[in-house]
Amino acid sequence: VTKVDAVYPPEALAAGTQADVTLEITVGIDGEVSGEQVVSSGGAAFDAAALVAVRQWVFTPAREGDTPVAVRIRVPFSFRLPARAEPPPFPQSTTEAAVPEPAPQGPPGGPPSPPAGPPLSPPQPASATPEPQRPQASSEEQPLEATVRGRAQPRSRGSADYEVSIGQLSVVPRKAADELLKLAPGILLTNEGGEGHASQIFLRGFDARDGQDVEISVAGVPVNEAGNLHGNGYADLHFVIPEVVSSLRVLEGPFDPRQGNFAVAGSAEYELGLEERGVGLQLGTGSFGTRRLLARWGPPGASKGTFGAAEVYQTDGFGQNRDATRASAIGQYEGRLGADTSARLTLQAYSGRWHSAGVIREDDYAAGRIGFYDTYDTGQGGDATRFSVSGEVESRAGALTLRNQAFGIISTSRLRENFTGFLLDPQEPQQTLHAQRGDLIDRSSSATTVGARGFARTAFEFLGHHEAEVGYLARYDVTDGVQYRIEAANGHPYHVDLDLLSRVADIGVYGDLSLVPLPWLTLRGGVRADLLTYDVVDRCAVQTVAHPSTSNPPGDASCLSLESNGRYREPVQPATAGSSVVQPRLSVLVTPISHLTLSGSYGGGVRSIDPQYVSQDAKTPFASATAAEVGAAYAIDVGALALALRTAGFRTRVDRDLVFSESAGRNTLGGSSTRLGWLVAARATGRSFDESLNATVVKATFDDTGLVIPYVPDLVVRSDTSLWHDLPWSPGGVPISAAAGLGITYVGPRPLPYGERSDRIFTVDASASLARRPFKLALSATNLLDAKYRLGEFNYASDFHSQSSPTLVPTRHFSAGAPRVVMLTFEFLVGGNP
Amino acid sequence: MSRLFLALPFLLAAGCGSTGSGLVTFHAAAAGPADAVAGQPLVFAGGKQNAYQVTLTRATLHLGALYLNRSVPSSGSQAQACVLPGIYSGQVTVPLTVDVLSPEPQPFPADGEGTADELKTGEVWLFGSDPFATDDLTVIVDVAGTAVQGSTALPFVGQITIGQNRQVAPSNPALPGTNPLCKQRIVTPVTIDLTLAQGGTLLLRIDARKWFQNVDFAQIPADPAVPGQLKFLDQTVGPADIAFYSGIRGTSPYAFTWQPP
Repeated sequence: VTKVDAVYPPEALAAGTQADVTLEITVGIDGEVSGEQVVSSGGAAFDAAALVAVRQWVFTPAREGDTPVAVRIRVPFSFRLPARAEPPPFPQSTTEAAVPEPAPQGPPGGPPSPPAGPPLSPPQPASATPEPQRPQASSEEQPLEATVRGRAQPRSRGSADYEVSIGQLSVVPRKAADELLKLAPGILLTNEGGEGHASQIFLRGFDARDGQDVEISVAGVPVNEAGNLHGNGYADLHFVIPEVVSSLRVLEGPFDPRQGNFAVAGSAEYELGLEERGVGLQLGTGSFGTRRLLARWGPPGASKGTFGAAEVYQTDGFGQNRDATRASAIGQYEGRLGADTSARLTLQAYSGRWHSAGVIREDDYAAGRIGFYDTYDTGQGGDATRFSVSGEVESRAGALTLRNQAFGIISTSRLRENFTGFLLDPQEPQQTLHAQRGDLIDRSSSATTVGARGFARTAFEFLGHHEAEVGYLARYDVTDGVQYRIEAANGHPYHVDLDLLSRVADIGVYGDLSLVPLPWLTLRGGVRADLLTYDVVDRCAVQTVAHPSTSNPPGDASCLSLESNGRYREPVQPATAGSSVVQPRLSVLVTPISHLTLSGSYGGGVRSIDPQYVSQDAKTPFASATAAEVGAAYAIDVGALALALRTAGFRTRVDRDLVFSESAGRNTLGGSSTRLGWLVAARATGRSFDESLNATVVKATFDDTGLVIPYVPDLVVRSDTSLWHDLPWSPGGVPISAAAGLGITYVGPRPLPYGERSDRIFTVDASASLARRPFKLALSATNLLDAKYRLGEFNYASDFHSQSSPTLVPTRHFSAGAPRVVMLTFEFLVGGNP
Repeated sequence: MSRLFLALPFLLAAGCGSTGSGLVTFHAAAAGPADAVAGQPLVFAGGKQNAYQVTLTRATLHLGALYLNRSVPSSGSQAQACVLPGIYSGQVTVPLTVDVLSPEPQPFPADGEGTADELKTGEVWLFGSDPFATDDLTVIVDVAGTAVQGSTALPFVGQITIGQNRQVAPSNPALPGTNPLCKQRIVTPVTIDLTLAQGGTLLLRIDARKWFQNVDFAQIPADPAVPGQLKFLDQTVGPADIAFYSGIRGTSPYAFTWQPP
């Protein structure tokens, strides 16, 4: 509607310098510009000129269907001297699939999105080019039009719903993509299984272990493995290359009808994209023989959803038995199949292997019998592979949006862990005489998953503008798993703990409404129904016999074909079970004043139970959770500063909780439990900084005893900070960009079994980088202060033969946190501009 | 929702909850019977049918470890494995050779550890270096004294080990693991009823008189090295040797007491 051209900075004109500037702005539903930010700087003078101009622009507001919506778009400016060949003075500005679909009209949901992409992005292709010789020229030639093409996004569920744009915070050092979860409040990650083992996730008072209580997806493809012997819902994110994560939605609680199996504590949805275009190669080397080679490419002109990336990583590890290597490749194509249809194809491959140190007894460490970073059992470690393919088509017909996605996954994992040493191998009468042979667990799972998901969303008018959506998720998991005990002396399996073939089918259907009966009131929610069916064959169903035959004793065999008194039976036991569950989910969002949203949410979630616990016709083969939350969110743009604050109180009850068992080396079913907590979070994004800060306090207790649930942290505080700016030197006319990142984690003393508390954790991660495209040099350090901290602490009995007599009573164990790890990374990126 | 708001202030106490019980360390000691006199022989009427007046001039016991557990003693416990993971809540894992003629508590070189749970069973482990070793030449019991019956004095000595000399062959070849050697080294179940607490003291009193309760001293074989002296065979063969070894492995000579801090 109104377009004012940028004025060529006189001093730059005199000096004969040129520049490209890319701004990101929000076009409100009234067409006014706000939240303008410099995404790619051309220098202070050029930035200022572009900002002055764009603040005077007025747009015809974007519309989603018939509804005006606020959108965030990018506007490139190209300042060129008149002597050079210039593009048209007022070209069309088009933002194609580089911004998400606009948020719906209504109360604000998540925190404001920071500028997408790394801070050192090359200038975007110029398309809005003020004519320097006609700085006051009118916009009569062509209107500026933003075409927003994106994928339909889920609607906010209030204060529990975090739509985290990684953006500039990507400069904060993170070892793997799962650490991005820490951008959401209350999440703690630990790992005693080594690099390659899924991280243990603590979220809002849940010990979600390896993902069992958090539904995780990447590009819409489920990550949780239904039936993995290590833990039902095991979710390993090492296949995700952190650089290609564009956004992350963390919903802390089962409040969205889209959430399915495992969304007990919440869900995390990773979206993939690569902001920087061109072909890049990144080589990193650092402490402990760590090396990483990353190749990535994004065709210029294509959306950020079209990219390829591959990495090879290797480390000797920071202590005994901690080496790891992995390779991962992800390719994604996002394109259009006509004017109203888009498609996305995602391919992924991953393979990794590693060793792990496991746990150390505190008394052995204190007595000098073992070092802080040492190990008792060098047999610990693992291997994993994952290959997946996903295809998705989304189309629009008027107000109706349709999406369908199909996916297939094949994966394997082998995990070897020893929590107890030599404790769990008692002499049975029928066995040959033996000493304790060792408790090393060797657990393998091979899984095939196929599935589909989709939805249809439409808008309708009835005393206001509303939306309705129906959708489904269907997945079928076939998992073949076996768990051995390994003899320490020779590495031979001496016992079969589990040998299970499981087939789990999960079909969920949901309906979701988003009603806006009043301008200040939004009601979102619906109902979800899931049918979970199990077909399990326990191939080692009989392991002990109460009255063994003396004439035909079972001997040392693990899987027996005997019943009491010698009666024959097959060692297998099939079991089938199934049950459905219907759960309401509701969120109320109230906007009493501008920028402020009060919200309340209620919902229920389920976790399918471990197939090994399925018995014939088990009536409720899942654990159920009910959660409620009230909160407030305040989001405002003040000049170039985007500020978002939120706070929430929450309560969650689970009827069958998971409790870590060191003897099983995994979580096992326990009783019911309740969590009560409160969180605060803030994010502030300016022209040259981005700060995310959150703190969560929670109390998690067992319902029957009132005792605190062990291992769950009461208090988690996390800060992510990034700073970036161009330096005042531009050798060859190309600016040097500098960026720095800082990540701080504080975890209060965690409750441990037997009334104990763990140590506090306080770590600082930092990075600094300089870029003069096409080159970039970065230095990062995790655990910058080199704190010697215990990442995980446990109280239980173990006997690692470290003392002369058997040690049979509970004592403190710990898994060591990594010391300072420094990485130097060199990057070369070319071809980003056409 | 209202419950949620009302509960928020209490979250300030989130860091105050407990998971229950507690890890504790405690002092541990062993001693002879309380009525013994330090530096004096232990004189008692004993032996089979209390037919002997026994003067015990030397009596030591080598303790490999002590374990306390939460399980209730039962007659069937003998059929269980040596170690039942998950039941133990107290342990003293440093060895101690006790002069059981002295009533004075003789402390273990290091503290014991455990949890503040109610304990029901005590176990006295008698071994040298490894309770699961296939053989062990450590002298567990060393005794010397004189048994008098009427006008007959029977000086005796004995040194008991628990190694291959105590291996019991399985009665049923189909159950070869019935009698692991480690079971010979564990005296259990000693009934107790105590709860450990930080800084307290666990005292094991050993009444050597009960070792000889069923011993017919006259049946002790002669000591080939010392004429006129009898010597228990370090094997489970003769009636006196069997009775003595059974006395050592019985639970009645052993009593745990707990002294709170």
